[in-house]
Amino acid sequence: MKKLIFFILFSSLITSLALARSTGCKQGNCDNGYGKWVYTDKTTYEGEWVATKKHGQGTETWPNGYIYKGEFKESQWNGIGILFFPDGSTYEGEWANGFMNGEGTFTWSDGKQKKGIWKNGSFQE
Amino acid sequence: MEVSKNSFKTLSEPVRQFSGLVGIIILIFITFFVLNNIFGEGDELVAKMKIEEERIAEERKLNKLISSLPSGVLVSFDGTDNFKLSDELYKAVCKATKLIPQRAIMGANFLNFRAHEIYTINGNKIDETFVKWDDEKNKCFAGFVVSGNNVGVDETVTVSGEALSFLSTGIDTRVYFIKNF
Repeated sequence: MKKLIFFILFSSLITSLALARSTGCKQGNCDNGYGKWVYTDKTTYEGEWVATKKHGQGTETWPNGYIYKGEFKESQWNGIGILFFPDGSTYEGEWANGFMNGEGTFTWSDGKQKKGIWKNGSFQE
Repeated sequence: MEVSKNSFKTLSEPVRQFSGLVGIIILIFITFFVLNNIFGEGDELVAKMKIEEERIAEERKLNKLISSLPSGVLVSFDGTDNFKLSDELYKAVCKATKLIPQRAIMGANFLNFRAHEIYTINGNKIDETFVKWDDEKNKCFAGFVVSGNNVGVDETVTVSGEALSFLSTGIDTRVYFIKNF
């Protein structure tokens, strides 16, 4: 019984250590400068950092296939950027507070397009 | 009555014993019939048991299939390096999937700001998730329900769309991309 408890605790410790080593700032400077950060769910951000926040040009890649390339402000998608959806659809244009806000073009994976003004992720007819 | 009693007595011993046996058997049948009508669910119960057995068999079949899938991202569309599901597998994976991870929810919320707001305000809490196979459209649909108080107003928002990709962990499968646009 003691051996089993020891084994479980030891395994948990090793797993936590392995997880801790695989996440966090993996390359460069993630405080002020250019660096790559890996999150626990395997989301990665590679780009510019200012005062430990994503700020400037960067690329955020989600494990399920969403990729955002463009401007960040205060760790949010802000400015000009392009979002690639997992199925190949894209939105290219202006972003504010992590949402499609401003002028932009949504292109479906079959090539169909919607171009115009977007507000909080919705197309303004 | 007295006559029939007497005529029964005139019968030979083996015939009387056999008649008694038949009588007891009939009595047992009647007793069980009456008890079954009072306490038993009869055909309904048998039908329920059959459905349950079929469900268990189907679940076992799906679990076997899930464990045979490669670990990683499984997609139902072309154009990626990920494992492409056949139509049959797509349907099976859809039926076996119950979980929707956070990134899939966040991705769907890009196109639904109200859902995003409620989701964020309530600490990323989801009321309900669902993954359903639509036989008519031959497609897999997934979604989630968020509810909460948003600036003094109680709101409930349902976000749903086509489930186009899944994550296979080797133990289970999870919806990885909900196309709600």
